[in-house]
Amino acid sequence: MFYQRHKVSLATPELRWTPFVTLLKKEIVRFLKVINQTVVTPLMNSSLYLLIFGVSLGRSIDLSSGVSYLAFLIPGLVTMSMLNNAFQNSSSSVLNSKFHGDIIDFKIAPFSTHQVVWALSLGALIRGFAVGAVTIGVSEVFHLVVKGSFLGIQHPLIFIYYLFVGTMTFASFGIIVGFWAKNFEQVNAIGGFILLPLIYLGGVFYSLENLHPFWRIVSQGNPLLYFINGIRYGVIGVSDVNIWTAFGVSVGSMIAMYLLSIRSVKTGSYIRW
Amino acid sequence: MLTHSFFNKIIGKYVIRLFMPSPILLNHLVKNYGKVQAVQDISFEMKEGEVLGLLGPNGAGKTSIISILTSLEKPTSGEAKIFGIDVALEEKQTKASLGFVPQELVSHGFFTVEEVLRFHSGYFGLADNKAQIDYLLNKLGIYIHKDKKIRELSGGMKRRFLIAKALVHRPKLLLLDEPTAGVDIELRNSLWEFVRELNNQGTSILLTTHYLEEAEKLCDRVAIIHLGKLRQMGKTAELVKNMTQRQIVFQLHTPTSSLQSPYVKSQSDKQIICQIPAGMELGELMGKIHLDTKVISDIRIKEGTLEEAFLNVLSEA
Ligand SMILES: Nc1ncnc2c1ncn2[C@@H]1O[C@H](COP(=O)(O)OP(=O)(O)OP(=O)(O)O)[C@@H](O)[C@H]1O
Ligand SMILES: [Mg+2]
Repeated sequence: MFYQRHKVSLATPELRWTPFVTLLKKEIVRFLKVINQTVVTPLMNSSLYLLIFGVSLGRSIDLSSGVSYLAFLIPGLVTMSMLNNAFQNSSSSVLNSKFHGDIIDFKIAPFSTHQVVWALSLGALIRGFAVGAVTIGVSEVFHLVVKGSFLGIQHPLIFIYYLFVGTMTFASFGIIVGFWAKNFEQVNAIGGFILLPLIYLGGVFYSLENLHPFWRIVSQGNPLLYFINGIRYGVIGVSDVNIWTAFGVSVGSMIAMYLLSIRSVKTGSYIRW
Repeated sequence: MLTHSFFNKIIGKYVIRLFMPSPILLNHLVKNYGKVQAVQDISFEMKEGEVLGLLGPNGAGKTSIISILTSLEKPTSGEAKIFGIDVALEEKQTKASLGFVPQELVSHGFFTVEEVLRFHSGYFGLADNKAQIDYLLNKLGIYIHKDKKIRELSGGMKRRFLIAKALVHRPKLLLLDEPTAGVDIELRNSLWEFVRELNNQGTSILLTTHYLEEAEKLCDRVAIIHLGKLRQMGKTAELVKNMTQRQIVFQLHTPTSSLQSPYVKSQSDKQIICQIPAGMELGELMGKIHLDTKVISDIRIKEGTLEEAFLNVLSEA
């Protein structure tokens, strides 16, 4: 009995990594279990966009920078599907847990707030990158068929950097929305009325230079613009916005979202609906 | 060798217990939900190794107290300590020492029973816990259902699953919030037996239940709360003794004239029922009611029950 008690207090080192790694694993298994919904559907969407905008309509559009419209569209599409999926993953993970009631496990088990936030965000990051990888794959096939060559990546490190920061930002945003939301409608509303318009108006499909000067200025208030153009710069070496501004906005958003997600995990409600 | 183990035993049994902080300590605990005062200034201490029953009618505040202990809710004021550590600090060590079965059934989406138990073990730092998981699945009779999703289980099986989930990490303190709600009588009995077994192995257990007969058999002590206030707390047997009156039933073979005594509760041609105040002996009662012993065919004594004690405590307020 005496020794047993001591063993309990020595168990602490196991509480350092195993809980976090397990939660991350659970997050990954969760989206893999519904892979049709989490990876295949986004892939279908991207393919349709490529087919309609990139191939059909894109033939008649030329950009002043001499880049083909398909090459312009691909980085935007990759960004769109990655960020959107990262957001979907963390927000729906938290929401489903609220719905099922197992949200209490976050509170009952010996997790730190940072462990919960990191496990949820990394799970979302991995889903984002999985979707991103297949989107890039399909896009390259389209590019090969239409243009006769693969689309090269001009600045791989910048490309990776923006993918990472962008996905982490939207993963954190998903955590915040998940903890804040009182029902599924609210999350759908955030996704449909805020996130999607921001993504569409953030220059996935068109270049800022085609806009009326007034809308060009309004668009600059959209943080998505900087992620999309950062990634586009990484791929084709062309950006609608100053690349340093994009860098600043991306880092700033990521840190702000991370801090807010920590706060929402700390102060959020763990009572099931 | 002998002295060594002897000293260990002494240390383990008595000395450690002196310094071990109690599993649960509530100190002027208050919990309000808006205007609802769910817990109003409750203080009590749980003893190491005991089964403590937290009893009270619906809405008494039992779940609110447990929610504070699991840090699902924050106290409005006052403090709650688990093994001497304030739960508000949310120490990992505190959480690791605690097992919790919620009153509300919990589901887990796409995950199966075994998957959830494996993940839950990992959350508590146990990367490989197969032996304990299999033991619990067998013990609770849900081994054959281990590959089912939680929502595919019946209500009673969900309860058993939740109990298994609460025990994967062998907690020193177990909180059971109505673990037998909606459970059939056979399973209820086997669950209580399991609870007793866990208790014998050294687990301290706090439970709530509306089955007072079962609580009476199982709980070393009970705390009765009503409308957020602690009304009575003590050893179960003592509380029953103090808060109820024993009844003595005389069966008669010959009707007798009406007895004039405050101790007589009812009288018919066939039987007389008397109530014995706490502390009075049978002989003294017989002397006071002046019943001719020749007419008595049989005597039965009905001890008070926890249920009566419970109702008496509630009606006192
Ligand atoms: N989340 C909440 N928000 C508002 N009021 C609440 C909440 N939870 C409990 N209450 C109220 O607090 C009081 C105590 O509720 P509690 O759940 O602690 O009772 P209980 O003793 O567990 O009852 P039962 O036996 O029905 O489970 C009740 O009046 C209840 O309506
Ligand atoms: Mg309750």
